[in-house]
Amino acid sequence: MSHTVPGFYDAATNAVAVLVLLIEFGMLRQALLRDQVRLYAAQSLVISVLALVVAASRAVPELYAVAGFSFVLKVVAVPWALRRLVRGTNGEIAGSGRFGLATQVLLALVAGGFGFFVSGAFGISSTVLPESAFGMSVAVFLVGFVMMVIRSDVISQSVGFFSLENGVSLAALVIAAGLPFILELVFLFDLLVAAVVFGVLIRVHHRSTASLSTRPLTRLRG
Amino acid sequence: MSGVLIALVTVGLAAALVSLVVPVSVGRVVSVVAGLACFGLALVLVPAAANRTVGTGFLRADALSGVFVLTVGFLYAATTVYTVGYLRAQAHEDGHRCRTRLLWCGLNLFCWAMLAAPLMSGLALLWIAIEVTTVVSALLVAIDDTDGAAEASWKYLLIASAGLGVALFATIIIYYAGARVLGEGLGLGIGQLIHAGLALPAGAVRLSFVLATLGFGTKMGLVPVHTWLPDAHAEAPAPASTLLSGGLLAVSFYAILRYYQITSAAVGASFGRTVLLAFGIASLLLAALVLLDQHDIKRLLAYSSVEHMGILAMAIGFGAPIAAAGAMLHVLAHAAAKSCAFFGAGTMSALYRTRDIGRIRATLDRLPLTAPMFLLAVLALSALPPFGIFRSEFMIVAGGLASPSKAPAAILVLLTTLAFLGLSFVTTRMSFESGTDAHASAAHGLGPGAMRARREPSVWLVAPMVAGLIALLVLGIHPPGPLQQLLHQAAAELGARP
Amino acid sequence: MLAPGAVNALQVITVVAIAPGVSGWISQFEARLQGRCGPRILQPYYDLGKLFRKESLAPEGASWVFLAAPGVAFVAYALVPLLIPVLTSYGLPLGYQGDILGGGFLLSLGAFVVAVAAADTGAPYAQIGASRAITFAAIGEPVVLFITFAVAIVTGTDLPYAEAAATRASAAQLIRPGHILAGIALFMVLLAETDRIPVATHSSTIELGMLGEAREFEHSGPYLAVLKWGGQVKQVVFFVLLLNLFVVPWGLATDGNLVSVVIAIVTLVAKCAGLGVVIAVIDCGFGKLRLFKITEFVSAAFLLSVLAVFTLLIGAG
Repeated sequence: MSHTVPGFYDAATNAVAVLVLLIEFGMLRQALLRDQVRLYAAQSLVISVLALVVAASRAVPELYAVAGFSFVLKVVAVPWALRRLVRGTNGEIAGSGRFGLATQVLLALVAGGFGFFVSGAFGISSTVLPESAFGMSVAVFLVGFVMMVIRSDVISQSVGFFSLENGVSLAALVIAAGLPFILELVFLFDLLVAAVVFGVLIRVHHRSTASLSTRPLTRLRG
Repeated sequence: MSGVLIALVTVGLAAALVSLVVPVSVGRVVSVVAGLACFGLALVLVPAAANRTVGTGFLRADALSGVFVLTVGFLYAATTVYTVGYLRAQAHEDGHRCRTRLLWCGLNLFCWAMLAAPLMSGLALLWIAIEVTTVVSALLVAIDDTDGAAEASWKYLLIASAGLGVALFATIIIYYAGARVLGEGLGLGIGQLIHAGLALPAGAVRLSFVLATLGFGTKMGLVPVHTWLPDAHAEAPAPASTLLSGGLLAVSFYAILRYYQITSAAVGASFGRTVLLAFGIASLLLAALVLLDQHDIKRLLAYSSVEHMGILAMAIGFGAPIAAAGAMLHVLAHAAAKSCAFFGAGTMSALYRTRDIGRIRATLDRLPLTAPMFLLAVLALSALPPFGIFRSEFMIVAGGLASPSKAPAAILVLLTTLAFLGLSFVTTRMSFESGTDAHASAAHGLGPGAMRARREPSVWLVAPMVAGLIALLVLGIHPPGPLQQLLHQAAAELGARP
Repeated sequence: MLAPGAVNALQVITVVAIAPGVSGWISQFEARLQGRCGPRILQPYYDLGKLFRKESLAPEGASWVFLAAPGVAFVAYALVPLLIPVLTSYGLPLGYQGDILGGGFLLSLGAFVVAVAAADTGAPYAQIGASRAITFAAIGEPVVLFITFAVAIVTGTDLPYAEAAATRASAAQLIRPGHILAGIALFMVLLAETDRIPVATHSSTIELGMLGEAREFEHSGPYLAVLKWGGQVKQVVFFVLLLNLFVVPWGLATDGNLVSVVIAIVTLVAKCAGLGVVIAVIDCGFGKLRLFKITEFVSAAFLLSVLAVFTLLIGAG
């Protein structure tokens, strides 16, 4: 099987997309909640930078503003709020995964690989970024899911949700770079609202169970 | 007509803001007025929407929207009235005032978002409106501040958010599909996308529909992504449960229908029908089995919601026009019946201070109006004539039998019968079987004197149930002309072809 | 002009000759980072010289395997430079006698005989060291396999020379995610295989922290010297693989000209010294992982190598 070497822009943007995915895996593996939040900020930063790159090189001026807003919101505001929550609860749960780390990584790999290859089947094409970055975004999305499922503390689960949203952001960059600015803005605002509600419910949870773990949540069933 | 649309998407928000700042007694009046006003506006909208698509700015209403606006409008009015009585009944509890204010604000906001969703002209705005319903209703579930409420609200928020993440992905992909045809900078207008039809790339539309069904289906309570639903319905305060069950699930169904319309236009109807049929059968099966052995009255009703959502999905899956019209009627009738049932359940569980069915006994002796109406509502939910759900399910089954494969219709009849057994067995025992006095008084901590008190707690609690039953009777016996026209127009918009 | 065969032999000689020096440089630099004076860079040469002059002892009951192992391992490690681009960018006569897997087999053979020799002694520490080293080498094996796959997808072959040429060909190749991921995975394998932090402590007297080092406990005199030297050769071989295949495959001789070969040797030493600095920094900056955490380290490397293959397969590499 011979292989054509992609152009510089494609290779570079692909590398950035892979970096997003790697950070996602990093979050999955990260035991300390504080560092997990930091990784989330880093991931958001990478996506903001990618938006800047796309804006500059493919002449999509709205994306400058999107990059700016998503920086303020996802790199600064949400991580700050989450860190405050973690600090306020003095409950650093180390490694709340339900399985061993190697198993988690394998599970996430299977999910991510599924995303990689399935996304290729739908014939998505893009004008601003290499199509393979779409596969990457689906993989980020699915690994975010895996994280929400296998971590059992409220912070990791919310970070899982936010990073899943980062996967959608990445997908939006690839296939919907021309999405009207106002909609992008409203999506971001919506994320902010969701973040606030997550924060409130994390507090509620902490007050009612005196921990960040979701293991006590077994009363309701049937 | 554009004034009506604008009023529908502003009244609720205004009421929410007002009720947050003014004293609770004023906020109560404002909310009830807002609820009744929205119901009135929805009634005004019905004849107009039945004939043509009306729109202004980013608002748009066709017959399909009309059905759901009417549903939510009715629930808004009924719930606000009920909430007045509900809050009076527990006025003595701690932290009541602050909670009351938040509850009023949250209910208004929740109804506002649910009213706005069917009126949005674009899929992106639709997603945003539904996301707003999620965050508001998650807080409403948590408002009782018990351990159960904390657990249920966390599960609900997490699962529903993940589902909406999937739906957001679907939105992005449908944008991509639309931009291929209609160019960049597309506003994701629903009419625009349906119009583009066959030109849309098939693979992307299919992917988008499956993701949308999964994502919004999470909020609609389709099995296997229904897991938050019984918890949230059971732990939320009764007014919020009512809105969740009758309104939120329906509005999520509305979002799926919009994607279904676009998918039908782009790749033909059979793809979407198959997906919906599969989800519908799964939901119906699980719900019917769980209903047979359920001990919590509100969870019982929650699983009944899963059952009815399954019926709705199957009805669209059948594809016959009469089944689609039946589905529209079913949305309305289910909202009326389920609100009535949840109101009754709320009143009873507040009186007996338990949701355990085994401890709620002899309700007919204690609640001369609520108990028989609750019984009637449950019977209506089990599709007994002459109520609306009988009519709608009859239409759906007729449509199912008209479709090429009759097996799904047979399954539907079988499983709804099973669900009927579960529901009616439990509720008749609650109504007629008398508990021993000692057991009962121990259960709710009241003296024997209070036990025998045969009195309704408040007229505010009874009135919305009466309204619900009247609505059910109207829908069942003879829906008014404009409404019938609305239902059939909505079915036509769904592109149902035999 | 040097004959191709001579250059080929020179590759082996270069690697064998600079191997102790590279170890010495890392120890020296590490000591400086920690604020110590540290041993001379040439200290490993003196150590080897000293060991060669000493008498050798074998444990009671040890068989010929024990005595043969250091030599066999040394030869196995020293043969690998025949197959990989150490000094030249073009294939030498013996360069196509084996691919990456061939080199991998030789390296594994070396590790195998050392482990067998350690088992032969019957000494507990040597056996613990050997069994651990083999265990982690075994779970690291899939990583190497996936790196090989990645190389194979990029070049259509799994010859080291082809991968080096592909890397040299364009700047885009260097930043291809598949390439970067495979490179990082190989670096992690390198850390594990050369007994570096965070997998094992390289130079301490705490037996529990050692993996590979413990295997040599029972050897002495010239045998120990050969064994140590072999280990150093293995380290340089891994350095060369990483540097000349994935990171900086420049500065290699393009023909048999004596000057360019000498330049290539000097460049190689410089590159190894540079990588040595990175390794020394990692040695100082991180702690050793607990034993059962090493699987997590290896699983990370595995993740990277699998992602490398995935990204290449979906055309994103």
